[in-house]
Amino acid sequence: MEKVLLKKALPQWVKKLESYTIYSPQEEGDFWNYEVIKNAEIIDLDYLNTVLSPKKIIFPQREVLFEFSTSNEDELKVKEILPEERPAVIFGVRPCDGKALTLTDKVFGGDFKDPYYWKRRNSTTLVGLTCNTPPSSNCFCLSVDGSPHSKEGLDILMTDLGDKYYAESFTKKGDELLNSAKALFKSPTAKDKKDLEKIKAESKKKIKRQIKATEKIPAKLKDMFASPFWDDESLSCIRCGICTYLCPTCHCFDMNDEVTSSSPIKGERVRTWDNCQFPDFTMHSSGHNPRPDKASRLRQRILHKFQYFVELYKNYQCIGCGRCISKCPVGIDIIEVLEKARDYGS
Amino acid sequence: MVNLEELKKEASQILKEGKVKYIIGLQSSSNGLLPVPAFIKNPEDVEKLVWNPACVYNLTLFLRDEKRRKAKEKEPDEKPVGIIVKGCDSRAINVLLQEEFIKRDDVYILGISCENTGVLDEKKLAKKLKGKKAEKVEFGEKDDFVITTEDGKIKIAAQEVLSERCLECKAHFPVIYDVLIGEKTKRNIENPFKSLERIESLPPEERWKFWKEQIDKCIRCYACRSVCPMCYCDECVVDTISFVVTPDTPAEEKAQKIKWLEKSPVSSENFVYHFVRAIHLTGRCIDCGECERVCPLDIPIRFLNKKLEKEAKELFDYEAGFDPDQPSLVSSFKDEDPEDFIR
Ligand code: SF4
Ligand code: SF4
Ligand code: SF4
Ligand code: SF4
Repeated sequence: MEKVLLKKALPQWVKKLESYTIYSPQEEGDFWNYEVIKNAEIIDLDYLNTVLSPKKIIFPQREVLFEFSTSNEDELKVKEILPEERPAVIFGVRPCDGKALTLTDKVFGGDFKDPYYWKRRNSTTLVGLTCNTPPSSNCFCLSVDGSPHSKEGLDILMTDLGDKYYAESFTKKGDELLNSAKALFKSPTAKDKKDLEKIKAESKKKIKRQIKATEKIPAKLKDMFASPFWDDESLSCIRCGICTYLCPTCHCFDMNDEVTSSSPIKGERVRTWDNCQFPDFTMHSSGHNPRPDKASRLRQRILHKFQYFVELYKNYQCIGCGRCISKCPVGIDIIEVLEKARDYGS
Repeated sequence: MVNLEELKKEASQILKEGKVKYIIGLQSSSNGLLPVPAFIKNPEDVEKLVWNPACVYNLTLFLRDEKRRKAKEKEPDEKPVGIIVKGCDSRAINVLLQEEFIKRDDVYILGISCENTGVLDEKKLAKKLKGKKAEKVEFGEKDDFVITTEDGKIKIAAQEVLSERCLECKAHFPVIYDVLIGEKTKRNIENPFKSLERIESLPPEERWKFWKEQIDKCIRCYACRSVCPMCYCDECVVDTISFVVTPDTPAEEKAQKIKWLEKSPVSSENFVYHFVRAIHLTGRCIDCGECERVCPLDIPIRFLNKKLEKEAKELFDYEAGFDPDQPSLVSSFKDEDPEDFIR
């Protein structure tokens, strides 16, 4: 379904969606982040890239899996806690971030379908926005099979045509959203269609950064596991959690029991984000650590994204959003690391 | 104005003379205004070195890596490491010496004076430039910064874009060094705790609200800890590692290991993390401001440390990082102390 919506009618559309929880990018001090929208009038799609991607909504940093308790008779009770099913809409999803969800879909949707993830994923409608100009100077989606107007993972893609949005719906969920405010939407004219194509074509030309010959990288990395390359590249890494926590495609988690009372026993099993840059990541209970230093941790991040994931799922585990580059405290640049790896020893 | 050529000359000389193993400095980056750390071994590579108002880093944090690397080597090279420091960073060296984390012979200090300026706050600059992108920033002739954007060069008075900590700096030239580059200019700061007083002056309920909102944003990436030269513990309370655990440690013993805080990024746990870190930095933080700079959620962590710095100054007349021989704040006791619980 394809429609156009006058820009000034956007808040009216949002108002019509009162049965949904609505998220949109909101400015907090010097940065943007997705938050629940409290007042439809504040919706603003003229935003820079958000610090965290919609991952923080679909796969939240903390999730209670179940509660446990023992009663007086020492009987153990376990109660599963699934996320509530209230439908949600996320406005202003960047095409790369939409694509990122198709990657986490693969991870949480193999033989075992993670119920927590899918409850949220299935009840959320993603309204994307074409990046007419790149929202970050480190965007490089074109180098990892993406595009500033990709529809992958999205239900609707909106494109800013100046005073109106061109809305393309690709799914039933998307159609429902457009149909919920029929009177606000018009059919696109021939000129609208022409403008759309022009903007989409131009948007690609504005992406400044790229990885050359990305396709050569996975095979090359395969032979670099034991290379001293990683020692040199990780020299300045401070082993923080920024690059992985902010990455829309990183999905590692940890599970812990949070005990609130020890007699009688009461508590929750909680899943939280984890990441390969921390010293206790996959540390064995014997004290052995398979990735004992920062070189092996940087290697894990790069190899997981550009070798293992490609072998498993035929996709890079990177959508080129540039967050890990812009926010790394010491300027470690994944594009540079990959290009150096590609040319290493040749 | 600091002379970059002078820095390169000194750096090249100590490398050629074999005085140092390598030099920790900064070089320009491919993806933004800030330079990136450089570890220079060959004298010809000193050409890569940069020095400009975007040199915000406190490079002393890499002395931690150097120490760990050395500990693993069978026959470590005992030569010092060359390190480029600003005034604030040099205070960090003093604290590391005071705590005997490093020895004086471990470092060859190339100190640079900030003279009448300092380093910039990228966010302040971005606001000033209103959407235009700064491609380059250099020291100007008259306590100003020269910014290159796509539209050419503009001059901005340093005061307008300096980071808050530079405006409140107590050591604008290095307090310990082997070579000093630049002048020991005179400079008066009227109040080193001016920005903190904005928070202190809030009524308690509002202050609580402010901090709760800020701390709730924290995603516990621990970048603030990891970038801090004082956070050098091999085993940090926030990580669930323990060096006491070996393949022979019995399960019961492991189960009894205290968990100081949960991994969940919720108010209570976030507060525990930030309080622990603040307390552990009392009398040690030298206000390089790096924790606050790296926070991806812009949490004003510096104020927590600043508050304790102020308490230490007012209650004990103690300032960190000016004298490597002074007893440390939290491990010393004065007979005239009015509290007697510790006697
Ligand atoms: S690469 Fe950068 S963001 Fe990632 S762990 Fe290292 S210092 Fe942190
Ligand atoms: S690896 Fe970096 S650029 Fe790629 S998706 Fe993750 S944060 Fe974005
Ligand atoms: S890069 Fe690291 S944190 Fe990200 S998914 Fe892979 S192992 Fe997990
Ligand atoms: S850097 Fe910021 S988000 Fe990360 S742990 Fe520190 S305060 Fe929290």
